[in-house]
Amino acid sequence: MPVIDIIFRVDEICKKYDKYDVDKHRELGASGDDAFSRLFTSIDSDIEAVLRKAELASTETNRAAAVAMNAEVRRTKARLAEDVVKLQKLAVKKVKGLTREERESRCDLVIALADRIQDVPDGNEHAAKQVNNDWGGASAPNKNIKFDMSEEDMDDGFFQESEESSQFRQEYEMRKKKQDEGLDVISEGLDALKNLARDMNEELDKQVPLMEEMETKVDGATSDLRNTNVRLKKQLVQMRSSRNFCIDIVLLCVILGIVSYIYNALK
Amino acid sequence: MSSDPDKMMSKADKMTKLTLTRWSADWRGATELYEQAANGFRASNKYEKAKVALEKASKGQEMQASPWDAAKHMESAAALAQKLSIWNEVADFYRKASELYTECGRAQPASDALGKAARALEDVKPDDAIQLYTDACEILEEDGRDQMAFDLYRACANVYIKLEKFTDAATFFLRLGVAADKCDATNSQCKAYLSAIIVYLYAHDLKQAEKCYNDCSQIDAFLKSDQSRSATRLLTAYNEGDIEEIKKVASSSTVSNLDHSIIKLARKLPTGDVTPIQMNTNDDLDEDDLT
Repeated sequence: MPVIDIIFRVDEICKKYDKYDVDKHRELGASGDDAFSRLFTSIDSDIEAVLRKAELASTETNRAAAVAMNAEVRRTKARLAEDVVKLQKLAVKKVKGLTREERESRCDLVIALADRIQDVPDGNEHAAKQVNNDWGGASAPNKNIKFDMSEEDMDDGFFQESEESSQFRQEYEMRKKKQDEGLDVISEGLDALKNLARDMNEELDKQVPLMEEMETKVDGATSDLRNTNVRLKKQLVQMRSSRNFCIDIVLLCVILGIVSYIYNALK
Repeated sequence: MSSDPDKMMSKADKMTKLTLTRWSADWRGATELYEQAANGFRASNKYEKAKVALEKASKGQEMQASPWDAAKHMESAAALAQKLSIWNEVADFYRKASELYTECGRAQPASDALGKAARALEDVKPDDAIQLYTDACEILEEDGRDQMAFDLYRACANVYIKLEKFTDAATFFLRLGVAADKCDATNSQCKAYLSAIIVYLYAHDLKQAEKCYNDCSQIDAFLKSDQSRSATRLLTAYNEGDIEEIKKVASSSTVSNLDHSIIKLARKLPTGDVTPIQMNTNDDLDEDDLT
């Protein structure tokens, strides 16, 4: 199965079980604070409604009903386009607690919203072609995805939290907390390491000029030493040359001879 | 050569005195005798006499135009004076040694000598110690070896903290920052600035601390550093009167990487009452104003 189909199937399932998405609901709840987010969410839900209506319109066999639905879709699209203009004005305003990047992303969100409204098929061939050219057109694969489970099975009790699932959720929260604590410990250790490493870095930087100075001095000393060694060797060689040695031995013999002569003479 | 140090001393003294028979002093022989006498005295634990002998040996070396040996003897004399707790002599001897080293053109030993003097006098005469530290730092800076001066600046600031002169201590930390800036030692620089801010907070001078923080934020390296983040947290905690946050920042790893004396100060924060200060609302724009 190609990846894109998997993605769309997952999106459909998520949409169906949307009410269980705790994070999303928390996010929606939290962002209801300022006018921008409120208007944004309302426009968002309106677009969803319009999309569903457009779907129904495209599958409607009765031509008159289809035309009527398309007209309604077009009316809603026009209304939404006006709302988007208002939303854009809100997006540029400075709100407390919002960073510059978030404001810029809000402008992008508004533009994306406007595009989505445009892309809603309202019975126009060209619009449909545009959507189909884009591989990201969400409406086309929608038709191919059907849920096998019928609506009757999904009564109230179906979505209730069972004991197992609540236990599971608790365990998940606990493990997440433990992981967070472990990560905190690791981060503290890394902080300490970073500080030590920085200090070591600076210390080594301090030592560099000292080492260079030492190097020059030692180089000077080695060259001096080498020179002295060479000269010493030359001196020694000169002193111990065989010619001098022979002369020394000959002279010694002469002296010994003289001494023995005198000794004999005196005896 | 007699082995009795006293006799050697008297002999050497005679060598250096100019009399009718002696027209020029024999410094070479005298210096040798002085050195040997000093060793002898040291071996027999007669420190006072050893010190005197070393002084004279140093003078002899100076006369022989070898300032290096003279300086070395002076330092040994100063160390003995320290042992004998004659503090003004300690300072004088080390200063003389430092001058001799500068004559040799060796700045590092010169400042080392002053540093040793300052360390010796820290407890007894802290003001002199501070003066010695400052002079040592100046010698190093003139020679362009700022990095070696860091330790001296830190030691000097510690002395000020012990004396509870917090503005002076903070000033010295800022000077450390300047020296660090010259050698691109950003870590030391940021640590120095954070230390200065903590010192101001310890003196409960919030305005000064904030001013210091604003001044230091002009420097890019500090602005992007961990130390600056800790400083912001501290200052906002002070502004909001949040004692828990102050304690948390004081025990964080950034602060624990500073000098011991600063860590002690940080752990004792906040000194005095911390009242939340009204935050100015910067938002003048009305939400419904769509212009």
